[in-house]
Amino acid sequence: MKKTFLSLLLLLSFSAFVRAQSLQEAVHKLDNAASVKDYEALEKNFVALAGQQPQSWLPWYYAAFCNAKIGFLYQEDGDKIEPYSIKGEEQISRAQSLLDSTKQQQQLSEVLMVMGMVYRTKVFINPMSYGRKYGMLSDKSLQQALQLSPENPRALYLRAWVKYYTPKMWGGDKQLAKELAQKSVALLAKEKAGENPHWGKAEDDALLSKFK
Amino acid sequence: MGKYLVWLFLVAPLHTLYAQDSLHKAVTDTVPRGTPKNLKQVTVSAGAFEASDKAKGASLTPMDAVTVAGSNGDLSLALRALPGVQQIGETEGLFVRGGTSDETKQFIDGTLFKYPNYPSVPGIPQPARINPFLFKGILFSSGGYSALYGQAMSSALILESVDLPEKSSARFYLFPSNQGAGLQHLALNNRSSFGLGLNYSNQTLYNALVPHVPDYFQGPSYVDANANFRIKTGRSGMLKVYAVWNKSTLGMYNPDVDSAALRSGYQGKGNNVYTNISYRTALGENWKMETGLAYSNNHDKRELSLVDAEGKPASLPEVPLTLKQNTSDIRSDFAQARMVFTHFLSNDQAVRFGAEHFYAKDAGLYRDSVVTQTDQLSAVFAESDIYLTGSLAAKVGVRAEHTSLLQKWSLAPRVSLAWRLSEESQLNFAYGLFYQEPSNEFLYHNRDLSLSGAAHYVVNYTRKAHNRFFRVETYYKQYHDLVRWLPADAKTVSTGDGYAKGIELFYRDKKTFKNLDYWVTYTYLDTKRDYLNYPMPLQPGFAAPHTMTIAIKKFFPDLSSGVNLSYSLAAGRPYYDIRFANGWQLFDQGTTKPYSVVNLHISHLMTLFPRWKHKDFSGFAVGVNNLLGTKQVFGYNYSYDGRNKMAVTLPAGRTFFAGFFMSLGIDRTDDFINNNL
Repeated sequence: MKKTFLSLLLLLSFSAFVRAQSLQEAVHKLDNAASVKDYEALEKNFVALAGQQPQSWLPWYYAAFCNAKIGFLYQEDGDKIEPYSIKGEEQISRAQSLLDSTKQQQQLSEVLMVMGMVYRTKVFINPMSYGRKYGMLSDKSLQQALQLSPENPRALYLRAWVKYYTPKMWGGDKQLAKELAQKSVALLAKEKAGENPHWGKAEDDALLSKFK
Repeated sequence: MGKYLVWLFLVAPLHTLYAQDSLHKAVTDTVPRGTPKNLKQVTVSAGAFEASDKAKGASLTPMDAVTVAGSNGDLSLALRALPGVQQIGETEGLFVRGGTSDETKQFIDGTLFKYPNYPSVPGIPQPARINPFLFKGILFSSGGYSALYGQAMSSALILESVDLPEKSSARFYLFPSNQGAGLQHLALNNRSSFGLGLNYSNQTLYNALVPHVPDYFQGPSYVDANANFRIKTGRSGMLKVYAVWNKSTLGMYNPDVDSAALRSGYQGKGNNVYTNISYRTALGENWKMETGLAYSNNHDKRELSLVDAEGKPASLPEVPLTLKQNTSDIRSDFAQARMVFTHFLSNDQAVRFGAEHFYAKDAGLYRDSVVTQTDQLSAVFAESDIYLTGSLAAKVGVRAEHTSLLQKWSLAPRVSLAWRLSEESQLNFAYGLFYQEPSNEFLYHNRDLSLSGAAHYVVNYTRKAHNRFFRVETYYKQYHDLVRWLPADAKTVSTGDGYAKGIELFYRDKKTFKNLDYWVTYTYLDTKRDYLNYPMPLQPGFAAPHTMTIAIKKFFPDLSSGVNLSYSLAAGRPYYDIRFANGWQLFDQGTTKPYSVVNLHISHLMTLFPRWKHKDFSGFAVGVNNLLGTKQVFGYNYSYDGRNKMAVTLPAGRTFFAGFFMSLGIDRTDDFINNNL
């Protein structure tokens, strides 16, 4: 009995280790992803991981992030984006439902930030037809993310992105965008690689390179 | 009149691209059918241009369609920038694929919008009676449209009005000859809204400043007042009421074609009330019901006169007096009731069926003779969306109609097929029979006519990718039972016929140039008709064989300014002198010079009161239609004896406008965020 229990425990911890490793592995791969193909493959990976770890918010979070990234990459190809946006929206809601909104404020901020990104991708489908609704939803999610965690470097990055691409008339501010991205970079330097969200450096750099 | 509203509303969409200040409220269809399971599913689209608030990539949105330079706030003028439509400078309406403007009908939320423009005036296009920004969906079918609609031989313009507004707002605009104000109020619970609007336009001052050919002795002036109320009922119901009243006055003298010493006068007065009530709701899981009621009362008075230099009545002995001097004064009542049920089946398939009834009563004077007529037209229709495979879809429908006036039945089958070739391209086919009653000018005097009809055959290929949209469509159309005037006493009979065929190209590119959106179209049309007084099959005077249009919109984000440019080029149109002498005879004919027009609109947007809690969106707009001052000739009017002809041309070389507009949104973002965190 004792033996069985022990071996069960061992098995459990082992499988937990295997899972953790593969999530970590996937996240590590994500750090180097660049193309739509990369993100599509990783998204499948994360969805599979979500099946193995039904209680963890991270796989859904990363799957949604992959879809959001694909939407950003397809920015100039409105006809292709919608399936990714829809998947992303569903996945990020799942991630959110796995969080305790009173205790896990930092995590919720990460989730809301990706939600803001997913809604942004809906705007790309066709700004004229989707901008009104999803631009607003995106801003709302981002505002909430920043309210929960004002120093979330990814939320700061998205805010910088929005400030950069919005015309002045509607609140755009390129100088502020630069400051926000720089602040985001500084905060990212303190983060450790692991399975928790730590992406953002490449995105910030891409935005900052526009000022050179 | 909604002439310059384009600028006012242009603020809204641009602002919504970034939407920093508005309140979110799901404006989804109240009968959601969920997300299509297969997002890459094929949709049937032959013959139609759809401008929808769900447009993706380079597909058109309603705003794209309406904000073409030179559209003057008239949807049908804006749609002339699409292929298949003729560039007709002397009158309003849509002349589609060899069809007259009478063969295109507009439908709002399912019901017929019978009088879309102010009463027609010879030689001068009249403005639209309704604001094009009322619509979130515009389906412009240039052939092969659905069995749900009828009485249009060429084309259907199917409009879907907006549901609830995004937020409460107030707006006004001030142009020297046009002023207007409006407001929209959204209830706090986001379940109902109402709106009011008033527009007034008087061209007297403008016409005094800019030289014109017609000598206006009255107006032109246009006034409209409109109101709307929309409410969500239950879980999935939506009730919308829209009412508009408008009135126009115009009086003018033009040089007379029969005598250099005399002038012909035209005086027109229009008065119109239009109401539309629509209700839609889901019935259980798999059913949807849509109902509509429309009523309109139209009073249209026209007086033709012939006057001498001092404005006193004159006559010409050689011309029948009634040709030169007559009065028409017609009051029309029109009512329609309609009901459509949709049953949703598996795999996004659906069956729709319904019925509608039209009541039309006209009474008054038509060219000095007393006329009265009542028509009861009933229709039943059914249609099914069928997915044969994941990449092959069909829409099959049939429509039966009966008119009491003509005592005639008609049965019109409609079929369209869509075959998805790849993720980006699709091939479409459409076929259908389309019937309509002859127009009132014939029916007033003769009810022994048949329904006119047309058969459409359409093949279409589309490719959409990378924010670019390419479309090519070719068609053949056969007309039958068109109205013809018999030589002896000009009695009308339904023995005319005709055909139209052509090929149309459309290419839109939003990608290549940043913040620049343009499209290019080309239309080839080969059409002949043997109808009215034509002694033989002829290319009608409204048909040009080649037409090209370009619409360009450029936005400068750093300057908060936009430039819209449109260019249309059309080959010359034929004109004829057909007179009666031992039968109808063609005495003279010719082709006008090509038509070429450039319209330019520039707008600058700004905020005048950034410190206000509800900061404003304001702007200036300036524009010129026919920028190059090209002398246009649309055709010729012949004198009674055929010795003299007079060009039909623009009233003035260029048309200018400049003005100011302001929109105030009532911002409740803070409330919303606080309530939802």
